[in-house]
Amino acid sequence: MPFHKINGKMVEAPVQPGQRMFSQRGAMLGYRGEVSFTPNLTGGQGGVMSMIGRRVANEDTPLMTVEGRGTVLFGHGGHHVHVVDLVGDTLCVEADRLLAFDGTLQQSTLFMGSQGGVMGIVRGQVTGQGLFTTRLSGHGSVAVMAHGGVFELPITPGQPVHVDPQAYVAHRGEVTNRLSSALGWRDMIGRGSGEAFQLELSGQGTVYVQASEEKL
Amino acid sequence: MAQFRLQGSRVLAVDLAGDAVKARNGSMVAYTGQMTFKKLSGGGDGLRGMVTRRLTGEQMTVMEVQGKGTCFFAAQATEINLVRLNGETLFVEADNLLCTEAGLRTGTTFTGLNGMASGDGLFTTKVEGSGWAAVTSNGPAVILRVSQGMPLRVDPGAYVAHTGNLNRSLKSGAGWTTLMGEGGGEAVQAEFTGEGLVYVQPSEKITFGGDV
Amino acid sequence: MSYPPQPTLPWSTAGQGPVTYDAYSLPVNDNVNPYAFSVELNGSYFLQKGKMVAYYGDISFQGVGHGALDRLLGQQFNSPLHASDWVVAQGRGKMVLADRAFDLNSYDLDQGNLTVRSGNLLAFEPTLALKQSIIPGFLTLLGTGKFVAASNGPVHFMEPPVRVDPQALVGWADCPAPCHHYDHHYMQGVLGGLRRLTGLGGASGEEHQFEFVGAGQVLLQSSEALMPERSVGQVDAEPGVPGGGLPQQGYQGGHQGGGQQLPNLQVPGLGNLGDLGRRFGL
Repeated sequence: MPFHKINGKMVEAPVQPGQRMFSQRGAMLGYRGEVSFTPNLTGGQGGVMSMIGRRVANEDTPLMTVEGRGTVLFGHGGHHVHVVDLVGDTLCVEADRLLAFDGTLQQSTLFMGSQGGVMGIVRGQVTGQGLFTTRLSGHGSVAVMAHGGVFELPITPGQPVHVDPQAYVAHRGEVTNRLSSALGWRDMIGRGSGEAFQLELSGQGTVYVQASEEKL
Repeated sequence: MAQFRLQGSRVLAVDLAGDAVKARNGSMVAYTGQMTFKKLSGGGDGLRGMVTRRLTGEQMTVMEVQGKGTCFFAAQATEINLVRLNGETLFVEADNLLCTEAGLRTGTTFTGLNGMASGDGLFTTKVEGSGWAAVTSNGPAVILRVSQGMPLRVDPGAYVAHTGNLNRSLKSGAGWTTLMGEGGGEAVQAEFTGEGLVYVQPSEKITFGGDV
Repeated sequence: MSYPPQPTLPWSTAGQGPVTYDAYSLPVNDNVNPYAFSVELNGSYFLQKGKMVAYYGDISFQGVGHGALDRLLGQQFNSPLHASDWVVAQGRGKMVLADRAFDLNSYDLDQGNLTVRSGNLLAFEPTLALKQSIIPGFLTLLGTGKFVAASNGPVHFMEPPVRVDPQALVGWADCPAPCHHYDHHYMQGVLGGLRRLTGLGGASGEEHQFEFVGAGQVLLQSSEALMPERSVGQVDAEPGVPGGGLPQQGYQGGHQGGGQQLPNLQVPGLGNLGDLGRRFGL
């Protein structure tokens, strides 16, 4: 079911019997019809492995299942909402930023910067960026939250995009990512969170960046 | 020449062709092409600037961004106002200056007791020269003109920047005390007289969480 | 495998330069931008404290309840608990109102009534009467005139029947006051009973809504708080639930937080279902 954007901070989603949806807890603003919201202790599909993945990632994004018949309004924390319609491709998004998504989408957890191996993980922990993301694939809508709205940057072969990990929201397509330390990062040490680490995305796809260095 | 443009209202895109801009430390959110980032000490006006900074507690650490491609800057989802300077001077609260073209000179001025009483206190950042500057505001700034016979009074917490030949003075208007209840206890308003433009944001600094 | 549509490198639309305003060109009782509202003052106007960001002209600001104005106020303010949060602007000129960069909207009432969350109400004309709503934390405006309210994101209007999250509610017009609605499934069964007793255990965060029925308009915003605490599954003391999780000190205690935002106090233990009766004074 496609999500309909009402304004920059609200989306409306139709719910029909037999088609469930997942949303972040507390993200429902209002609804019409008979709709139930069930806490989802396992955090969506994915079973035990996904749970472990989340535990490791220290990700605690409680989800709820939305079922019934009617329309639901979603929004959260006054954050801007961006709707991505997947057409058989893959979206990687930080779990904290997931507002709502179709139940038909396959989900799994992955670690950004895993190409860096153990060092990558260590770096992730050190920087506190917690770049564990949820991977959604299939056909359906995803509503993603961002502080201050998002803009899209295309990633094309030979033209990688570098993103501040804290401003990174999501990416889609055939994209590989790498946490890199910026050239001259020693110079940046003064403020701790300068541009010391960057996420390099290359391949073919799109990256969504928010207008803020504030993580959700 | 660095090309400044807005990507939406909250992201500044700067196209660089090998040249450099100065930007607030940590404000890069993304870039394409090749960029190098170098921290500048003291914001570009030498020792004196550093000393005044130490005194004021201003945390305007600045980086120099140089390269080829497009660099995107943003700050806490604040709105970005592009200001084109042609030899005039822009006075801006240090926290609100996001990015300037390399050709612009930045410095700190002591505004004495006439300064804003909003934490940044007695010092304001001064930007001079010709080129683009990007100023942030929490919510899009309203630009208000001050002219002879038309003074303007502003809540110091909502003041962002001004250009032109303006005098500002602090007034503790009667009744203002009761107006300002919202923490902070600044029982003052800033009066601007003369000729110029004042940038006012639709919010107050105190309530803007964090404020860096 | 199909590839997603490729965005082109974004370019901003050609800017026509910033708009500057002066005392004459500022809008008359209208928005300057979505976040700033300009009032042409010729007489008096009620403002919530600290919401005026700039003004031209000769305007004085008096705290509500300060002597000279008391007679005027007696007629307009039937809400003594909120009086300390308000000031009266008097004089001639233009003033710009704003609130934490939230979206501002003005509403014209014509012999109507509109109830709005107290923290969201910014200013109103003295032709309107302000009363405290029976729902704690909300104010009702009655009569004819204009008022200005803030919201997090644009206001979305919905017609009943609709159920809304308490945090998302800005206010409502004309329709009967809302009822509380609790998710049926949630309260049923052993697990539900357990949850009810302990207030613990997987809560979806959505088992409690305000339900509106009848004719009217319901005003919704994205959320009340900019950066709220993330819910970890406790049911009690949701921000935006009037008196939620607060120990009740008599019904007059309905006003909290100095008319700003409702405090997000957490009282662990009992879920918010336990004190349902007391909360409504039933």
